[in-house]
Amino acid sequence: MDRTALDRLAGRKLVVVTGKGGTGKTTLAAVLGRLMAGRGKRVLLLEVDPRESLHQALGTEPSGGAVVPAGGGLWIQNLQPAAVIEALVHEKVPIPFLARKITESVGYRQFVDGAPGLKETALLGHAYRILEGKRSSDMVIVDAPATGHGATMLAAPGLLAQAAKGGQLGAMAAELAAYLADGSRCGVMLTTLAEEMPVQETLELIERLRAGQDLRPDLVVVNGMYPELCGADRGPGLWQARRLLNEAELARLTAAWDGPLAELPLLPLDRGPALVAALAPLLAAAP
Amino acid sequence: MTGALLGPHLTVVVGGGGVGKTTLAAALALGSASEGRRTLVMTIDPSLRLKDALGVSEEARDEPVRVMAEGAGLLDAALLDARRTFDRLIRTYAPDLAAAERIFSNRFYQDMAGRLSGILEYMAMERLFEMQASGRYERIILDTPPTRQALDFLQAPDHMMNLVDSRAIRFALDPWWDDARRKNLAFRIAAKGAMELADRVIGRRFLMDVVEFIRAFAPLFDGFRSRAEEVRDLLKAPGTRFLLVAGPGPDRVPDAMFFLRKLKETGHRTGPILVNQVHPDPGPGAGPGPALVRYLADRDQRGLALLRSLFPGEKVVVPVALEPVPPTDLQALGRLYQKLAAARPG
Repeated sequence: MDRTALDRLAGRKLVVVTGKGGTGKTTLAAVLGRLMAGRGKRVLLLEVDPRESLHQALGTEPSGGAVVPAGGGLWIQNLQPAAVIEALVHEKVPIPFLARKITESVGYRQFVDGAPGLKETALLGHAYRILEGKRSSDMVIVDAPATGHGATMLAAPGLLAQAAKGGQLGAMAAELAAYLADGSRCGVMLTTLAEEMPVQETLELIERLRAGQDLRPDLVVVNGMYPELCGADRGPGLWQARRLLNEAELARLTAAWDGPLAELPLLPLDRGPALVAALAPLLAAAP
Repeated sequence: MTGALLGPHLTVVVGGGGVGKTTLAAALALGSASEGRRTLVMTIDPSLRLKDALGVSEEARDEPVRVMAEGAGLLDAALLDARRTFDRLIRTYAPDLAAAERIFSNRFYQDMAGRLSGILEYMAMERLFEMQASGRYERIILDTPPTRQALDFLQAPDHMMNLVDSRAIRFALDPWWDDARRKNLAFRIAAKGAMELADRVIGRRFLMDVVEFIRAFAPLFDGFRSRAEEVRDLLKAPGTRFLLVAGPGPDRVPDAMFFLRKLKETGHRTGPILVNQVHPDPGPGAGPGPALVRYLADRDQRGLALLRSLFPGEKVVVPVALEPVPPTDLQALGRLYQKLAAARPG
């Protein structure tokens, strides 16, 4: 039987990690990757942000689009949607000259920029192909864009399937949307801080996922909690005020979210492998 | 006092997510107003707390709302809403009501008007231009969405011009889509091939939605184009400054560098860098204290030192201390402004 949120996440093949910027999303995606790889899985961490930072969290070379080993059954890849779509065109149009003609045309660029959900669908489609086609990984964790965009990402295949109904593209998107809707294969982990805006966005995102895709996050991680200072170590008023603010916002979150929640403390470590290693056992202990 | 931080006319506040841009923009705007300037602050998505502090609610989505007036100075606040701005522009530029209705009823427009890349950001710029052109304000402070990605909004006017100029649109407007029209045979065969391919891959309905949208939109192109050019010029005007807000600590420095490099490359003027949420030094009297307190103070000092070493000389790095609680009323925002005004660039 599944006991903890981590056990449930370990049962998924595709996990999307999303949350407001500045909540430690990338570091927590790395922590989840390490934990899952630690369970003997081959895990690929996909980073979507064109400005790479995942490699810093794990202490590897930047990906630059390539799959880079991060040790212990974990790999990272920075993936740009334009490149994925271009690769797909080259695959579907086997004559290189023709494929190039297409990808260099103005109409193509406009279409890639403008088609609803195309870029997001391409990224998730890439993960899908790794899992169901090539089977080169047991699990793919997507370090998705910040909140608003993260929800858009999960809604994208359904939207594209609707818009491009009747074509091959629409059929591919519909297949992917069905895969994402299967809660036994796909999971979501949200990251936040116990501060007003992050909590607000998290509650809105939970509601958008429920209303839009009938998805429920497997885990909400509240990161960077200020410590409870007591006795002689109470510290200056600033610290107490921040801690009280954290507690009040955490209470607001838990009043509206009754699912699994992990509280992680602010740690005296810079972003990097040491921080990932220190957070791993704390996240593993989540209920 | 705010003069050192704000642009003469227009200040665009930029920075990554969660660095406190919106609060600082509001505090600076309040400061500008209390110095006797007619000031407008435009924000994208303020927290409830900040909306309460400013005393504004949803009605500010349509028109700026008065926050305070004191002597010659006043402060208005407006909330940005991309969809409403887009709708309003269409009503403004459509030759008649029927043309506007044709766009509003288009499925492609309904699905995607707010999603097209850069549209959200572009609409913020459009609204800014509208406010600037109204002449009601001496100073405008624009809070921007936390696009960590690529400062999309800087390219937004160009995106809009490209879209309007693109061959794809002329292609869509060409009557070859109409089966009834006769063209020369070779062209029709080529077009038919392209059409069939697109049809198979993308689906006819989607294609026709897009074509219909472009056709409905065509009468508005010239208006949009000239506005996009004016917006681009406004962002590069001598009276405009980009104010970067960065998070504390060395981990946030690459973020700040990225923004500054982009702004420089694109020929925009930058002001000082505000490093927000800096943890104060606990001081020698505080004893050893918890390791975390010491670490955060040291970490944030390391971040400041790094930024200062990267921007010696004319660039200024202004630290802003972490507030015990975010401002909940105008008085607290006013105090924050006093701190900003007193902060010594170093």
